[in-house]
Amino acid sequence: MLLSRLRAPIGAALCALLLCRAVAKAHGILGDRFFPPTIATDDPFAVDEFALPTVSWLKNPGAPSDHELDAGFEFDKEIFPRFALGVSNTFIWHKPHAASSIYGWDNLSLTAKYELWENPEHEAIISVGLGAGIGGTGSRAIGRDFFSTFAPTFYFGKGFGDLPDSLAPLQPLALTGTFDNTFPTSSAGANAFEWGFALEYSLPYLQSHVRDIGLRGPLKDMIPLVEFAMSTQENRPGRGITTGTINPGVLYENSYFQLGAEANIPLNRATGPHVGVTIQMWIYIDDIFPRTFGHPLFGERS
Amino acid sequence: MNRRIDIALRPKSAFHVLILLSLFFAPSAVWAHAFLDRAEPKVGSEVSKSPEQVKIWFTQQPEHAFSTIKVLNGDGKQVDKNDTRTDPDDSKALVVSVPSLPPGTYKVVWKVLSTDTHRTEGSFKFTVKP
Repeated sequence: MLLSRLRAPIGAALCALLLCRAVAKAHGILGDRFFPPTIATDDPFAVDEFALPTVSWLKNPGAPSDHELDAGFEFDKEIFPRFALGVSNTFIWHKPHAASSIYGWDNLSLTAKYELWENPEHEAIISVGLGAGIGGTGSRAIGRDFFSTFAPTFYFGKGFGDLPDSLAPLQPLALTGTFDNTFPTSSAGANAFEWGFALEYSLPYLQSHVRDIGLRGPLKDMIPLVEFAMSTQENRPGRGITTGTINPGVLYENSYFQLGAEANIPLNRATGPHVGVTIQMWIYIDDIFPRTFGHPLFGERS
Repeated sequence: MNRRIDIALRPKSAFHVLILLSLFFAPSAVWAHAFLDRAEPKVGSEVSKSPEQVKIWFTQQPEHAFSTIKVLNGDGKQVDKNDTRTDPDDSKALVVSVPSLPPGTYKVVWKVLSTDTHRTEGSFKFTVKP
């Protein structure tokens, strides 16, 4: 009954949103460069993004035969020009070796990100943000923390399309990265310095900006990359220990979604003995609903 | 007992999910950005004589009225005839005429607004050999 009464105003609101004709900013595009969302590290763009689902399958490097299936979502909305808020969470299913499955939600994550500076000509961007893991919102069954964490974060991205023509084969390269320091709200947690970067070689960029070497799909839509995701504990037992993974892989770009696969190679023994695998899919909601998404809630980008 | 079976989808729900997914994945000409698909002269190519026009095929149909192709010489001066138009044989292609170009390297700068309202831009070079 209530739904039927609300149908008309909801429909009118949706129509108004769909008829909005302002020019949209394409996600992750700076100058001639498309920066794809990467798997192990975050990208520096404060734009509308909607990952539903983000599905990952991992064979955890830290435990024998510990399989993990994650199904998560991430929604980022540009509130003001260059400022976005995000919310994400993941449903985690663990199948430990010789034990029953355990599963549940991870702690809810919130992010705020602001694009501090960008230079389209040099395909460069710097952003700052704050990430928060809300303690107690996740499932105890999978051992989620009861305390919250806060992480001031620095993001950067740089494409190398401005290299001289004598180095043209290197122009498709791009580097993105993040640095953050995580602070827990309880002494049960530890401070950690987390850093990561992604080195990409964009075949679409090579084909459409540098030299048409005759690549055909799906090869011409692929971006080989290697990501480094590291964490150094700063206090408590384990202080000074760095763990992390080196993640070579490839992304396949489509106008509507991105498919990615990476191997997770442990950096050292402290990380674990096994190589893991992550497979991920992003759906570009701003491409599917361009008149609804791709715009700040208040104001417009210049 | 594995409790995962508790969240198994009922047939009707599964059908709705299937419809939703098909909507998500259904291709449509009015969705997605317009990126360069190919060009003539080819991106980064060397041609033995001046082309009469520069033609770019895009991955989606550009809005002609809000899209431009410029051809710049080595000094950054625009040398095309400023007549960017849609190719009459292919609505996904834009064309701009150029005069007889002397040997040198030229930069093609394109800016398009696709029908989904996303703005994209890019550039590439080609060389006219002596």
